[in-house]
Amino acid sequence: MKTYDVIVVGGSAAGLTAAQTVRRHYPPKNILVIRKEDRVLIPCGIPYIFGSLEGPHEDLIPDMVYEKMNIGLHISQVESIDRKNKVVKTESEEFAYDKLILGTGSYPAMPPIPGHDKKGVYAVLKDVQYLADIQEKLKTVKNVVVIGGGFIGIEISDEIKKSGVENVSVVEIEKHCLSQSYDEEFCIEMEEKLQSRGINIFTGSKVVSIDGEKQVESVTLADGKTIDADMVILGIGAVANADLAKNAGLRIGLTGGIVVDRAMRTSDPDIFACGDCAEKVSFFGGKSSALRLASIATLEARVAGANVFGITRETPGTIGVWGTAVGSLALGTAGLTEKMAKDHGYNVISAVNESVNRHPGKLAGAAKIKIKLVFEVNSGVLLGGQVRGDASAGETMNAISACVQNRMTAEQIAMFQSGTHPLITASPIAYGIVNAAEAAIGKMMKAKEQV
Amino acid sequence: MKQILIIDDDVDFLEITSLFLKNKDFHIETAASPEQGFRKIQENTPDLVVLDVMMPSEFEGFELARDIREKLKLMDLPIIILSCIHDQKQVPYRFAPDKDYLPVDVFLDKPVNPDVLLEKVNSLLGEYREKPSQNL
Repeated sequence: MKTYDVIVVGGSAAGLTAAQTVRRHYPPKNILVIRKEDRVLIPCGIPYIFGSLEGPHEDLIPDMVYEKMNIGLHISQVESIDRKNKVVKTESEEFAYDKLILGTGSYPAMPPIPGHDKKGVYAVLKDVQYLADIQEKLKTVKNVVVIGGGFIGIEISDEIKKSGVENVSVVEIEKHCLSQSYDEEFCIEMEEKLQSRGINIFTGSKVVSIDGEKQVESVTLADGKTIDADMVILGIGAVANADLAKNAGLRIGLTGGIVVDRAMRTSDPDIFACGDCAEKVSFFGGKSSALRLASIATLEARVAGANVFGITRETPGTIGVWGTAVGSLALGTAGLTEKMAKDHGYNVISAVNESVNRHPGKLAGAAKIKIKLVFEVNSGVLLGGQVRGDASAGETMNAISACVQNRMTAEQIAMFQSGTHPLITASPIAYGIVNAAEAAIGKMMKAKEQV
Repeated sequence: MKQILIIDDDVDFLEITSLFLKNKDFHIETAASPEQGFRKIQENTPDLVVLDVMMPSEFEGFELARDIREKLKLMDLPIIILSCIHDQKQVPYRFAPDKDYLPVDVFLDKPVNPDVLLEKVNSLLGEYREKPSQNL
């Protein structure tokens, strides 16, 4: 039996990043990644398989990194973990480990709707063949209903429309699409964008049944409305795949993920877990968080990988940073929205700045950028921010995340030293994040005067 | 003493689980159908419900969970669902707690290790009840 210093189970965002991190932090150690997939999809690229890309084969994580970083790769399903003897059993072989990192990912979540198992109902499964089948079927359908108006739902809808399907509808149970991560004004802009591209939006709508004989023919909403559907795609989120850990007797949390501490250790000191399979805590207050993103997975993987032979890092918890884009409209969010912050019990003040990301604004490529920052009113600490604009919104979102993670105050952000250039940024006079912070300071001063 | 209502049409499971939880100092009530379970909750609301979802069809169990929230307005009553639906249906997705579609606290796949069930019961009945959030 071959023995490895570190074995990583799973080869997607979490597993691969964990293995790379072990290699960087512990150069002499021998590392093996065991994954079940022959080819691994880039998870966030999946929606683009249906319209912008030719197919799943254009959305793959390259394997050359294994050779480049001297990481072993074994493709096989892991069947069990023998914790007593520290052995991982796969379909074909057994491997001994000193330290084990689990990055076993997630399953798509399915709401318990009658008819969920009819032909033509698909989840967003990270499987090349399954997605290729959906892509093939899309060539023959006229009506597609996507359940869930989160980022997966809206991106898939737009891509399916782009592929030429006649009627594409999104059904979202909340008042607005994206409302779990964006305040209403941002959600409305995205909904209008989707509608302008020919997508039907049903918000505040619950699907009560998926109808048809064996093949799906329509979906019925709680208000009695029916929508024709030759295909239904579920995009309501993901739940941890903790089967292997559960069968090995590791502690499982309330959301079904593997229980880990902030160093990403499981209940077995020689086993770590990261990514979608692990339980998450919020950056805000430390309560359990159900949010699952590839960017969270890679952060946790960098914590787990660095810690396998001694704790050097801790995760600060999930901030919830992610963007989405449809056509020329891009949105980014980091941390709490104004509504979420209030729901958490914070006393908040928000401020909005709108500016242009070139100076002067007549220069080619100029786009209007709107930034909303949300602060706790007494401490002045930034709790979150949202941005709307063109593709440059992506890095603005990440700048906001840096401010949130460092618990920067409005005063500190107002003194943020930015670099500016006419062709690539807003003007130093109208720099969005800084001016939004200044606007918030003004509101805070006014609020104090009133007290 | 905290009261737990176990709803399941499998009499053997009811008996074994009742005995296990009784030995852990819980008062146990049982119901063998969703209708009986609904009535028992209505008449004498327990501190926690353990609910099997394959009785007799998967949707009756799920519906009972929704009825507890929507009809009886018991938004804070902890509900644990036990199910072998994933194993039986062999679907590539998973049913999971969802505030709108499946408003329960915990979803456990059968067979359930009794100690795991006890851990979940204790965490839901404890002074600082753990509540998984939807997002952040």
